[in-house]
Amino acid sequence: MQDDTRRGLLLVSPPAIYALLMLAAPMAAVLLFSFWSQDFLTIDRTFTTKNYVEAVSDPLYRALLIRSVAIALAVTVVTVALAYPVAYFVSFHVHPSRKSLWIFLITIPFWTSYLIRVFLWKVILGFNGVLNSSLLGLGVINEPLTFILYNQNAVVITLAHAFAPFAILPIFVALERIDRSLLEASQDLGESRFRTFLRVTLPLSVPGLVAAVLIVFIPTIGDYVTPRLVGGPNGLMIANMIQTQFLKLNNAPLGAALAVVAMASVTVISLLFIWLNRRNLRARR
Amino acid sequence: MSGPIISLTGVTKHYGSFQALQPTDLDIQSGEFFSLLGPSGCGKTTLLRTIAGFETPSGGVVRIDGADMAGVPPNRRPTNLVFQSYAIFPHLSVAENVGFGLRRSTQSKAEKAAAVEEALGMVGLEGYGPRPTHAMSGGQRQRVALARALILKPKVLLLDEPLSALDKKLREQMQGELRRLQRQVGITFILVTHDQEEALIMSDRIAVMFEGQIAQLATPEALYRQPDTRQVADFIGVMNFLPAQFVDGSAEIAGLGRVDLPDNEDGSGVVGLRPETLQVLYDGADAPARIAEGDVVEVTYYGDMTYYDVRFDGADKPVTISMKNLAGRAVLERGARARVGWDPRALVVFRD
Ligand SMILES: Nc1ncnc2c1ncn2[C@@H]1O[C@H](COP(=O)(O)OP(=O)(O)OP(=O)(O)O)[C@@H](O)[C@H]1O
Ligand SMILES: [Mg+2]
Repeated sequence: MQDDTRRGLLLVSPPAIYALLMLAAPMAAVLLFSFWSQDFLTIDRTFTTKNYVEAVSDPLYRALLIRSVAIALAVTVVTVALAYPVAYFVSFHVHPSRKSLWIFLITIPFWTSYLIRVFLWKVILGFNGVLNSSLLGLGVINEPLTFILYNQNAVVITLAHAFAPFAILPIFVALERIDRSLLEASQDLGESRFRTFLRVTLPLSVPGLVAAVLIVFIPTIGDYVTPRLVGGPNGLMIANMIQTQFLKLNNAPLGAALAVVAMASVTVISLLFIWLNRRNLRARR
Repeated sequence: MSGPIISLTGVTKHYGSFQALQPTDLDIQSGEFFSLLGPSGCGKTTLLRTIAGFETPSGGVVRIDGADMAGVPPNRRPTNLVFQSYAIFPHLSVAENVGFGLRRSTQSKAEKAAAVEEALGMVGLEGYGPRPTHAMSGGQRQRVALARALILKPKVLLLDEPLSALDKKLREQMQGELRRLQRQVGITFILVTHDQEEALIMSDRIAVMFEGQIAQLATPEALYRQPDTRQVADFIGVMNFLPAQFVDGSAEIAGLGRVDLPDNEDGSGVVGLRPETLQVLYDGADAPARIAEGDVVEVTYYGDMTYYDVRFDGADKPVTISMKNLAGRAVLERGARARVGWDPRALVVFRD
């Protein structure tokens, strides 16, 4: 028993040390910084909460934080709403022997770098981009659409596309785990297919759904590449401001405080979401 | 209200080129406890699911209570199915499972709760309502599945091997309870099973199926005493088969000698004898109709019974004989000589 424990600890220690160095240490540093202050290049290490006061009271930061949450929520809703039908289709309507092929195809976008995919959307959505020239060519529109690039819509579209496979996979796995006889039992007990979906399929896929939501929501709120490249001035998010504080304004403590506030918001919203779904997340079987 | 509750006419089912159901005609009366019995893969489940509406027949007509069921989905049929895996909803409590089908009923909340409690009482699960289902045992799940179907008062309850996942003791107990429940609620039960004993114990009538076809449909007693084919005889209980030559209204049976069997055309065939229709003769036993002699080649002791395999003089294969173990009666040893009494009236004839 003791031996087992020791061997177990030995086995997990390399990844544990790695995680500690690469995750916990930087987090601790960020936390520490957020309680200091900086004047040009000198760091003043006296404890202060003024960064937090500024982070939550300055209307600019507050607006950015709210926008980030709003965009992340929009991206999450759009992504999961698109991913669910795809996962459902593959799980329920694709012949079992072809399912792996479909899942394989779904992951193809991962073969290209994230940056390239963002640029791709820039090319598609741009003023002279693929979408506009096609629509112009077809005579659907008379002048190029401008609401699709360099704003929040573009950020949502790009991020939703980037995260779709991440959302499809956990939902697919949850749907695959549903015993098909449960669906027949529901119909046998008098429910239509649609009602069966609402009363059986949907609640049983909640674990996958929650996983998908968290997988999309948590990283998107801190994304800064996409807003930077396709967001325009009105599409910037909190991460862009954090970067600016650290690298341009030489105010690492304020940047750190903003980061902590953003992380705290994500944590609170995620926990709230999990709590709301607690009933359908409980252990099964 | 006098016609059969279930009526199948020429029902067939193909899966691609594979024919799972040969043309099947079947009438099941209201209030009957009916069993579909057959080996694995013979099409029992297919037939049951065709009645429930989960499979569309490739041909023929399914009628329930006189109404043609073509195009009627499972949720609009007056049948309920108890699945082999029970199909208990894992995200719902016991009470929510049992009350699942009541959503569209016009009853008030309190009435529904009372109905759920009543259904739980019927299967011996009073007070289990608020429990989550994942903590329930196999037998309890089975009861929940039963209550969930019974609460809707279907005209026909379909059960697909509902007891096969239970251990022997629980299975025997549930067999009794199912029978009692069926009498109590008066609903037609159609039970699928591959366990011939279960079918014999529980059913009013049994349809024995082989390879997508009903081989014989009869009461348990008729099925046991007068099986139509060797295959049926072999499947139900134990049957000894002895080759026989039929000549001039009598039969020459290997090891047993000649017996009068009128109304049989000349030729060769097989006769069958159940183990309990033969008896090992002890000193002082009543003189039976016929006596044959042979060697005991195997003894299987069951406590209440002993099974002897006896090879009659002049026969190739031994026959199995079951004997009650009475007080003071010795169990024969392997290799002993045995005198065996038998009765020609117990013979079942199978012609080639
Ligand atoms: N969806 C299907 N596609 C192809 N063949 C099928 C399908 N369903 C059943 N079969 C075949 O039809 C035959 C009858 O199947 P069925 O499930 O009715 O057997 P069963 O009598 O219930 O057997 P068991 O006792 O093992 O449950 C089997 O040979 C099976 O392989
Ligand atoms: Mg079956």
